[in-house]
Amino acid sequence: MPREAELSVNERAFVLEALKEDVRLDGRSLDAFRDVRIAFGDEYGTADVSMGKTRALARISASITAPNPDRKFDGIFTITTELSPMAAPHFEIGRQTDAEAHLSLLLDRSIRRSSALSTESLCLVAGSKVWLLVCTIHILDHDGDLLSAACIAAIAALSHFRIPDTSIHGGELTVYSAQERNPIPLALLHWPFCVSFAVFEGGEKMIVDAALREEQCSEGEVVVTANKSGEICAISKQGGVPTDALVLLGCVDTAVEKVRVLDEIVRKALDLDATQRDVGGLMAELRAENAR
Amino acid sequence: MASSTLSPLSRADGSAQYSFNGYSVLCAVNGPMEAQRRDELPEEAVVDVAIIPATGIAGVTSKHLESIVQKALRQIVLVAAHARSLIQITLQIIATPESDHQPARLHQSFSSIAVLPALLQASILALLSTSIPLCMFTNLTSVAVGANGDVALDPSVEEVDAATSLHVIGFSSQGDLLIAESEGSFNIATWEQVSDIAGTVCWGDLTRDNGLQVSKFWKHELNCESTLRTKISQWYSKSTG
Repeated sequence: MPREAELSVNERAFVLEALKEDVRLDGRSLDAFRDVRIAFGDEYGTADVSMGKTRALARISASITAPNPDRKFDGIFTITTELSPMAAPHFEIGRQTDAEAHLSLLLDRSIRRSSALSTESLCLVAGSKVWLLVCTIHILDHDGDLLSAACIAAIAALSHFRIPDTSIHGGELTVYSAQERNPIPLALLHWPFCVSFAVFEGGEKMIVDAALREEQCSEGEVVVTANKSGEICAISKQGGVPTDALVLLGCVDTAVEKVRVLDEIVRKALDLDATQRDVGGLMAELRAENAR
Repeated sequence: MASSTLSPLSRADGSAQYSFNGYSVLCAVNGPMEAQRRDELPEEAVVDVAIIPATGIAGVTSKHLESIVQKALRQIVLVAAHARSLIQITLQIIATPESDHQPARLHQSFSSIAVLPALLQASILALLSTSIPLCMFTNLTSVAVGANGDVALDPSVEEVDAATSLHVIGFSSQGDLLIAESEGSFNIATWEQVSDIAGTVCWGDLTRDNGLQVSKFWKHELNCESTLRTKISQWYSKSTG
């Protein structure tokens, strides 16, 4: 299927008419997220995030490689996203759609370029050995707002991941298995989250976390990435109707408020997972990281 | 123990998740839908299989697995019933078993075919959930043969690493051999022994006594059947109540 079926005229009119009266299809208020559910896998570094029917799975993998010659002290961190026919039948394998390019660009900008992960901490031997950390995000189900779901999944997986402990003796690098030494968490400096706004009524009305049908009849999109301290990491407005500066400021305020809620949801899910893994309360003794 | 979920996804026409022996595979089926003109077959449906690995991008290994799964599913799906259409199967590997003794993810040596049973069972459940007519069911098992001839059923990562050969054998519900994939070095006698054991495991042929304690008779089928029964009764109670 080369492209997605468009909304019918009736459906479009229905969605827009309802929005004029501030009513959304699923009964949410204009600035409400769908319920975010996070499930962690058995192994460290997998997070399955569902928001309504949208579902994204993030998985972190680490391997050792040589650093870029001009960045000898930095590890390599990449984020890859994949839209397969699993998410929606019009996506093809091996052919990148605009949606996929847009998604990976914004994720890269929000997480990697905002230095959420300190790449210096991934350096093992300067100039010759660094960790290569790959965050693969698989979109399993597409029902709008892939970006928020993917971003939450990436952050949840990164903070859930444990990297093998290493030591260097006489220039020789040893990587320890989970049985020898407890693996350590990544050095995450902050948790950025994306909040996307779909634009309606010529830039006057903004709705948070648009579902697929709302996304299909929106007039544009504004994405604000922020962390819980209220720092703005990225703002993206690509195409669509012009947006008034004051409306945009309103978006930023809403985004910061939403990000705090998302941060809390991820933190709670992580805590719950940690207590489930901490059988017999031995985790504290096994920790190998330095208390800072 | 195996566990499976039917129709976990909303956009795909049919879907299923199947987990067994540390592997977890999510499968989405779309179809029968219009095939692209260049792919279309005049007298049968095109079965298109794509396997997405858990990490990284699809490489030679997943292409190899895709071709095995595609060949097997072409025999199972009634392709002649949907001429000139496309049945698109997407398999996403969600989890793979991890070794306790090796540093996580630095360990790449273990074999690629061990995931085949999970891939095929997931695709069959997903095809059923899409209501695509099938002509048979299949049951697969993996067997590892160690250096001194010891046989391990549904081997763990350590057993696969220690094995000299690994075999994945599948039988159709008519009892015919459908899939035989092997890796490593072995001889005809070993293969015959393995295929006998696999036959016993897959369809519980109790007349053959090969001195192996098989406690997992019908494991895949029992699980698939109970999943289907639960789902159907749920749908039924929804539509009547």
